[in-house]
Amino acid sequence: MFRLQGSKVLAVDMTGDAVKAKNGSMVAYDGQMAFKKMSGGGEGLRGMVTRRLTGEQMTVMEVKGQGTCWFADRASEINLVSLQGEKLYVESSNLLATDGGLRTGTTFTGLRGATQGNGLFTTTVEGHGQAAITSDGPAVVLRVSQQYPLIVDPGAYVAHQGNLRQSFQSGVTFRTLMGEGGGEAFQIRFEGDGLVYVQPSERNTIAGDV
Amino acid sequence: MYGAPGGGPTVHDPMTLPADDNVNNYTFCVELKGSQWFLQKGKMVAYYGSIEFNGIGHGRLDRLVRTSFHSPLHASDWVVAEGSGKMLLADRAFDVNSYDLDDGNLTIRSGNLLAFQPTLALKQSIVPGFLTLIGTGKFVAASNGPVVFMEPPIRVDPQALVGWADCPSPCHHYDHGYMTGVMGGLRALTGLGGASGEEHQFEFVGAGTVLLQSSETLMAEQAAGAVPQQAGVPGGGGGFTGPSQQAGTPRLPGQLGDLQRRFGL
Repeated sequence: MFRLQGSKVLAVDMTGDAVKAKNGSMVAYDGQMAFKKMSGGGEGLRGMVTRRLTGEQMTVMEVKGQGTCWFADRASEINLVSLQGEKLYVESSNLLATDGGLRTGTTFTGLRGATQGNGLFTTTVEGHGQAAITSDGPAVVLRVSQQYPLIVDPGAYVAHQGNLRQSFQSGVTFRTLMGEGGGEAFQIRFEGDGLVYVQPSERNTIAGDV
Repeated sequence: MYGAPGGGPTVHDPMTLPADDNVNNYTFCVELKGSQWFLQKGKMVAYYGSIEFNGIGHGRLDRLVRTSFHSPLHASDWVVAEGSGKMLLADRAFDVNSYDLDDGNLTIRSGNLLAFQPTLALKQSIVPGFLTLIGTGKFVAASNGPVVFMEPPIRVDPQALVGWADCPSPCHHYDHGYMTGVMGGLRALTGLGGASGEEHQFEFVGAGTVLLQSSETLMAEQAAGAVPQQAGVPGGGGGFTGPSQQAGTPRLPGQLGDLQRRFGL
């Protein structure tokens, strides 16, 4: 059971079940807890190799026990996501904790990853349960529907869930090359049905100032 | 079930997003209906609809730039958003707020201004590093922590100053009694004997409003463009070097007196 205590601390009430959390993100606990580092994100040997190969590395620990455990990561804002069988795509650096029952994995993101400077792969979370993702400033959740596609700055993108197609759109013209660009040369376009999490801050991206 | 009391996160779509208002303290939503907004490069985080972003150098925008943009060398940091839809603006998770000017004027630190309507005219302020908006319309500014509004007469810390409206008298104020003499110099240099760090302020008098941020962490300065190299133009170089600046380096706004003067020599 995930709940937020303030906006920057995640409290998880546990009764013998387990959660996976970013390594070292525990700030306090009461009751009986066991912390176990999971190699390769707890995805087995195959996951370990994939993560090594894709550079989408994630050090995760498994927390198991009775009581309440509190997690936080560098005072960043925490957003709760509940999943009913759909898939959540999130950058591994933004994933704070997931229910023990959720499966995590990696997936190819294509060009979007390249412009974000996050590599070509991203982390997926799948199943039924809750996940906590971090963002720089509280994330705004935006709904994408058939008639309303959404365009997002790659630096502000945090995560998305649902049945979304993403395509990469570039506004690079000869003016960009002359230093007169529109400042938003690279964008990700989301179409379909789902939710996109956007943070009020932009990571430094390769194309940040173009 | 979300555990946080008060339910899960609010999901926004184009219908529920506010028009020209804050989504939360850190994100501002602008509604475009075939209209235009000026915004600082790279501050758009997401948008619905069809919006085009063009650098100010775009030929089609010449007329607009002529009427509402008056800092020619600053132009490459600004873009014009044009089209219809809703657009979210944010800046490094700083607080953002919108302000309405009604046939007024407001001067703001260049790094704090995020976006403004073209009904306002943007001009470089005579005070280096500041920009002045004149006219009627809405603009969006970022600050480190919420902004508080103060009435002059007031003295403010240079790092906390965001901007001011309608009061034409920003000037430096030094606590001379505390700063001069050998002891004052020692205090200022070494911090021994209690330099409070508050010996220098900006002073405002007259009618108007002063905007302060609730933090002394400055936003990164945005280049406001050079001013013409002309005698009598502050920061403009020519004819401005007095005898106290033999070193040739222009005095920075927050810098105190020369070393020997601090020691009372």
